[in-house]
Amino acid sequence: MNRSEWDELAELALKRLRAAGAEYGDIRILDSRTQVVQGEDRRIAALRDSRDSGFGVRVLCRGAWGFAASSILSVEEVPRVADLAVQIAKGSASMTSEKVRLAEEPAHVDRVVTPLRIDPFGVPLEEKAGLLTDVMEYVQRQPGVVRSSGHLWARRDLKLFASTEGSRITFDLVAVQGGFEATALQDGRFASRTFNTPHLRTGYELIRDANLAAEAPRIASQAVEKVKAPPVEAGRYDLVLDPEHLSLTMHESCGHPSELDRALGYEANYAGTSFLTPDKRGSFRYGSPHVTFVADNTEPETLAATGYDDDGVACQKWDIVRDGLFVGYCTNREVAPKIKEARSRGSNRADGWGSVPIVRIANIGLQPGRATLDDMLADVKRGIYIEGHDSFSIDQRRYNFQFGGDAFWLIENGRRTHMLRDVIYHGITPEFWGSCDAVADPSHRRRFGFITCGKGQPGQSGWMTHAASHARVRNVSVIRGGSAT
Amino acid sequence: MSGGFAGTVKLTDREEFRFLTDLVLKHSGGDHTLVVLHDQHAGTTRFANNTVVQNVNSRRVTLTVTLAFGKRHGSATTTDLTAGAVREAVKRAEAMARVGPEDPEYVPPAPPQAYVDRPTALPETVAAGPDRRLELAREAVELCQGSSLKAAGVVSSSAATVGVAADTGLFAHEARADARFSVTATGENSTGWASNVHRSIDQLGVNERTRSAIEKAQRSAGAKEIPAGRYTVILEPSAVGGLLTWMMWMGDAKDYDKGTSPFSGKLGTQIIDARLNLANRPEHPDLLGCGFTPEGLPTNSLAWIDRGVLRQLAYDRFTAKQHRVEPIPTLEAPCLSGDGRTAASVDELVRATERGILVTNFWYIRTVNPTDLTLTGMTRDGTFLVEDGRVTTAVHNFRFHESPLRALNRLEAFTGPREASSAETGKLLVPAMKIREFNFSSVTRF
Repeated sequence: MNRSEWDELAELALKRLRAAGAEYGDIRILDSRTQVVQGEDRRIAALRDSRDSGFGVRVLCRGAWGFAASSILSVEEVPRVADLAVQIAKGSASMTSEKVRLAEEPAHVDRVVTPLRIDPFGVPLEEKAGLLTDVMEYVQRQPGVVRSSGHLWARRDLKLFASTEGSRITFDLVAVQGGFEATALQDGRFASRTFNTPHLRTGYELIRDANLAAEAPRIASQAVEKVKAPPVEAGRYDLVLDPEHLSLTMHESCGHPSELDRALGYEANYAGTSFLTPDKRGSFRYGSPHVTFVADNTEPETLAATGYDDDGVACQKWDIVRDGLFVGYCTNREVAPKIKEARSRGSNRADGWGSVPIVRIANIGLQPGRATLDDMLADVKRGIYIEGHDSFSIDQRRYNFQFGGDAFWLIENGRRTHMLRDVIYHGITPEFWGSCDAVADPSHRRRFGFITCGKGQPGQSGWMTHAASHARVRNVSVIRGGSAT
Repeated sequence: MSGGFAGTVKLTDREEFRFLTDLVLKHSGGDHTLVVLHDQHAGTTRFANNTVVQNVNSRRVTLTVTLAFGKRHGSATTTDLTAGAVREAVKRAEAMARVGPEDPEYVPPAPPQAYVDRPTALPETVAAGPDRRLELAREAVELCQGSSLKAAGVVSSSAATVGVAADTGLFAHEARADARFSVTATGENSTGWASNVHRSIDQLGVNERTRSAIEKAQRSAGAKEIPAGRYTVILEPSAVGGLLTWMMWMGDAKDYDKGTSPFSGKLGTQIIDARLNLANRPEHPDLLGCGFTPEGLPTNSLAWIDRGVLRQLAYDRFTAKQHRVEPIPTLEAPCLSGDGRTAASVDELVRATERGILVTNFWYIRTVNPTDLTLTGMTRDGTFLVEDGRVTTAVHNFRFHESPLRALNRLEAFTGPREASSAETGKLLVPAMKIREFNFSSVTRF
């Protein structure tokens, strides 16, 4: 189906919605292609190429929402689905105590295209399979390593967003990621070490520049060192956290609580609510003065920088936490007016044509400070340096959290010494960020992202990027994961 | 399948799937070709703050073609079932299979199989549309409003047809349907929760479960903080289901062989209390058993843990062939039950407890140590102190650090199997359990 046919279908749906008396309506038509090459234990276990196309119609009638979607793109199906969306909205209206009022947004007519040098779908599959086979071979050459895996992932979304307010935006968005894992075995105990490129909106150059094969021996050797490392002794430690590790800590402890729909109770039955309630905005001390979290959906290559969100609102940059003070939320057109904000922050995204857009975490990043990593380590007597992700868990209001990591090194008297295993730290969000006393300078800044952020019922997977330089947090409670706890 | 969903959507039936299979096989040049269909019509009414906040309906049909030349294979998926798009999917799969390296673990599709015909798509669920979902949502909201509480939750229903076929003559097609309900009742600083998943939308028990959530929210008011530590716990079925689900996910036979499973070396040995049995029960009317797996193999009733002894692992077809396991065990309809004396109710477990913590549900369960399956997670939506055989106060939620492989060896008492489901599990039948020395490692602020 070509673009002009998409335009005709969109117009058909919007006409139907207007005729039904809708206050607002939009249609998103998508054609998504995902390619995955998956390696496991030296073999290529899967080569998958998925095409997922369809459309979703969202409508506001009598102050209530209806949404219907279908994978059948035809002139017969579009009116059926549009009518169903209207019917559902009218049903919702019978059980709606407060009418939905949308924040104003100008109509946009635009096209958004991911800049890239190398089309990931144009790279021969032989090259991709060969790369993963080589990486797994290098990993498994390391004595002590018993398992290896690797993956390359690419996605392209062709999308049309059109609304009854006159917006018409087309998208051609590409994202890429790759990584691998080594698992080592020692005395019946096993441990893994991983290497991941960030997920970024760019081309296959991300994979080539990452040079996975060159990283493989280091990762494999660290997997073995990790499984042989002594377990951590429980106690209080200063932590120095690398940007990849921080991306998850920030995501869970700052990202989710700053979603306004959660703070207003929309997610009370599933993902949870938020300790950052609206009355705290502008007055609550979330962290130390070293802690400034900025939401930036305009930074090139980042996952949430899509030009416009699924409300048709232009992407923006704003503060969530400024010098330790909680100041802002991620919002959409529906919830922004509830805290008397005139304009949405443009953080409303759906994970496909079949899902209704919901408030999503923006590209929230920790603003760099002035320290160097060496300076930060030098000022630690007894601490732990942590890289990467592993275990994570947090309560439904986002107070009590716990994180593991992919690799841990003991810091003694200002020096990174040997690896540790089974390190788990836990805390209460504002106390933890209140103990942050240094953030590294911009030269240390790295970006990592997520494409599996779970939220909503039915569940959806959100995409966003979190950038950070290393951070130091003092006097954090560390326990040992495993049978000794 | 017709009617219900407003009679406006007809899902892909057996003959249509046969036609699609023939179309794929006609265009496939592979040595082997597997075709998998999933055609689903689903809807969810979501409410929060006693109002509908989301009301959605979607139709999605997906066709996946896996094609192999010798041991080289590739898969392509399309949501477009027009002849041209299906042909294009075959070509994409073929292109991948031609260039991929040989996979030593590739196994051709299974030969034709015999399936048990199960009532997997009950008419009342298939027929349920937005109006029925709204009716049930309204019931939950009005009950909460009547108790001056805020309701948040979902009512959803889904009807699907699923097909698996191959050039070997394998052919399976089945209609499936299920319905889901969950509600969180919220007071000023308290919550209570309940949920159910069932093949029949009429068996969700919306009224009874909403009343339970309301009672928990009311009893949770004024929760006190008590210190973390080891406590006797009474875990309601949903909490037990959360722990058991992680155990079930760790039973992969290949991981077992490689030494990277917490069960490695333990097949045939006692891993949990000798009174406990875990079985797959696809025929059970309160579970969501289906007729066949995604590879077209029949599901089966089988004991996985028998009187505490690990008897089964989850085999993929390659590993099963290596181990000469026939048939491959499936565990999509889990039932955990206990031998010997069972308590009649959670209340009976409470009455027999001098001091302990009653847990409604766990949340955000994750592995901490995969070697011994130490997990962490939070209690949620109703956590209570039990003293001298009765609930005396609600308490702040705890974080736990515990392995089910250790906790299920400290079993004191249990009920018979009850329906359980949560946001992090599928549908299970499991007992409520009383377990001693359960490890709560920290406490949160509410």
